[in-house]
Amino acid sequence: MNAPALKAETTTDRHPLAGHSMSGAEVIVQVLADEGVGVLFGYSGGAILPVYDAVFRHNATHTCVDGSAEEVREPMRLVVPANEQGAGFMAAGYARASGKVGVAIVTSGPGATNMVTPVRDSMADSIPLVVICGQVGTAAIGSDAFQEAPVSNIMGACAKHVFLVTDATQLEATVRTAFTLARSGRPGPVVVDVPKDVQNATLVWQGRGELALAGYRARLRAVEQAVLGDTDCAAFFAALLQAQRPLIYAGGGVIAAEAAEALRAFVDAFGLPVATTLMGLGGFDSTDPLALHLLGMHGTAYANYAVEDCDFVLALGARFDDRVAGVPDKFAPRARFIAQVDIDPAEIGKVKRVDWQHVGPLKRALERLTAYGRVHGLKPQLAAWHAHVAELKRAHAMNYDRESALVLPYAVIEAINRHAQGRAVVSTGVGQHQMWAAQYFDFRAPRHWLTSGSMGTMGFGLPAAVGAQFAHPHKLVIDIDGDASIRMNIGELETVTTYGLPIKVVVLNNVGDGMVRQWQKLYFKGRFAASDKSLHKKDFVLAAQADGFGWARRLERVDELEPVIADFLAYPGPAFLEVMIDPDAGVYPMVGPGASYAQMITGDFIPARAAAAARKDSPSHMF
Amino acid sequence: MNHTLSILLQNEAGALVRVAGLFAARGYNIDTLTVTATHDPAVSRLTLSLQCDEAALGQILQQTRKLVDVLQVAHPATALAA
Repeated sequence: MNAPALKAETTTDRHPLAGHSMSGAEVIVQVLADEGVGVLFGYSGGAILPVYDAVFRHNATHTCVDGSAEEVREPMRLVVPANEQGAGFMAAGYARASGKVGVAIVTSGPGATNMVTPVRDSMADSIPLVVICGQVGTAAIGSDAFQEAPVSNIMGACAKHVFLVTDATQLEATVRTAFTLARSGRPGPVVVDVPKDVQNATLVWQGRGELALAGYRARLRAVEQAVLGDTDCAAFFAALLQAQRPLIYAGGGVIAAEAAEALRAFVDAFGLPVATTLMGLGGFDSTDPLALHLLGMHGTAYANYAVEDCDFVLALGARFDDRVAGVPDKFAPRARFIAQVDIDPAEIGKVKRVDWQHVGPLKRALERLTAYGRVHGLKPQLAAWHAHVAELKRAHAMNYDRESALVLPYAVIEAINRHAQGRAVVSTGVGQHQMWAAQYFDFRAPRHWLTSGSMGTMGFGLPAAVGAQFAHPHKLVIDIDGDASIRMNIGELETVTTYGLPIKVVVLNNVGDGMVRQWQKLYFKGRFAASDKSLHKKDFVLAAQADGFGWARRLERVDELEPVIADFLAYPGPAFLEVMIDPDAGVYPMVGPGASYAQMITGDFIPARAAAAARKDSPSHMF
Repeated sequence: MNHTLSILLQNEAGALVRVAGLFAARGYNIDTLTVTATHDPAVSRLTLSLQCDEAALGQILQQTRKLVDVLQVAHPATALAA
């Protein structure tokens, strides 16, 4: 097997430190520095102490000056959470908001196992992370040593890749390779497990070189070099020009591939309406007349009806998951042609058979299709379809009881949105508040919406907001959270004030697990097993104040909504707003599990196209 | 239907676990598994057989190719038929 040339060998520049003697820990920090890592998220502990010490010494000897000469900051800022899970979601929030690789560093055993959830979450949402874990010394591995856990086994099941570095001479190339793996192809988290003796080994810095990984690199090269030939383009346009009602189904791949501009140009050229997945929000300006906003289980009624009506689907970086295509056969039932572009060959046809496919970089594929269509003067005539979509948007617009005496979550999001106008970075926990935020915010650009899409991890919102604020120190960052979700990582409230981050934390408090209650109402005859929190005693405002929030208030009255939200968002520092919402507020529309879009429930305030079929108890195995 | 796969794998710590773990996590039952050395000490060959339909086979091949340690995945029956 011929190993391909190592990537760094193509450059003739010799690293200024090449040939220097360094410890393994210093090697790790130097690779991070070369990769441009400006902020690390992590928690120290016995088996990672040498790396933390090397970060400390790196920062002590390398100061960098920002803008004005007075503002000196550490080149590799270290952000310490309350719990390693927080560090993982901070790194993920940083990566989602910036597009760069997020880096987390934790100790062995519990430090590493607390990191499992963010690693799996990032794998499921294709977020690039590099996680460095300390490990007990190589001689102690397998001896049930103090703070030992089988990290390569555990993480191997949920990361894009795991390295256990047992040969110290491979450490430098391994850490460098971890970054390449994390960001290349379909991005994901890469874990490097480093025994303590490897951190303490004396090494010679090479300044270049990566692991060969012949199989991975060959497959990656094939995907990255794949081009849409004239025949592919012709077949695509032949089908598109036959379609009367074509639709784009855009997923998180549009954002991961930095393809939003290319999508905009494609839509400008050919006029296809765009429905986005939860992960795709921001991939296409949701205020555009051709934007259908969110589709799926809690998508807008007009997006879902458009999916019902369309006769051509172009899936872009989207994977027909069960929250979109719960019943694959009934998804887009009138579509005579489905085209799919993805970076991951395993996603092509995984759920739904497709008629046309391309595995390759999305941005280039869209640019190629746009150029081909323009050169050949191919333009679908979609006036009737555009009118139909506009009427769907008008007739089935998102709506709620605007006369309610109780504060409704939809009104809260709309009020915040009037200030944010699609320019704030919004993170969320998981549950009803997440869906309300997805439905009622405007999303105008990529990387402004941070949510745990596939894994659905409660507790994601607050640490993700911390990471995002480090990525964008001058942007408005808002965590829309729930009373149950925020409890999961509530220790990170203190992290917000420790680092003086001007994050705006909103807790939509419905005194329980609202989404669970919604399902219990629908499918379990209203038996609220373990989802009611009315006996919980926490005073969130006092808790925020105790953690140093200079602005912390509870909002309970409708007439206070506008002024309080204006005051809250205008506060220059960390601010916390608890909103006591109508505990019966539901998430509508809803496509129930096992139901088709035609059977969507729209609630009392969004007109449905046809009366939804009455549904009795759904089989409880349908999750 | 019975399928036999031949997988060339980098001989790294945990590589075999990752292949076996992938099959377990995605619900595919391995009937037989043999690991042998190759002329290259850094590379092992896994030969495994399992029961699945054609659609599942396609997914297994694609998912196995996503493992970073995997150099090559072959389904000799398909190769012979092609």
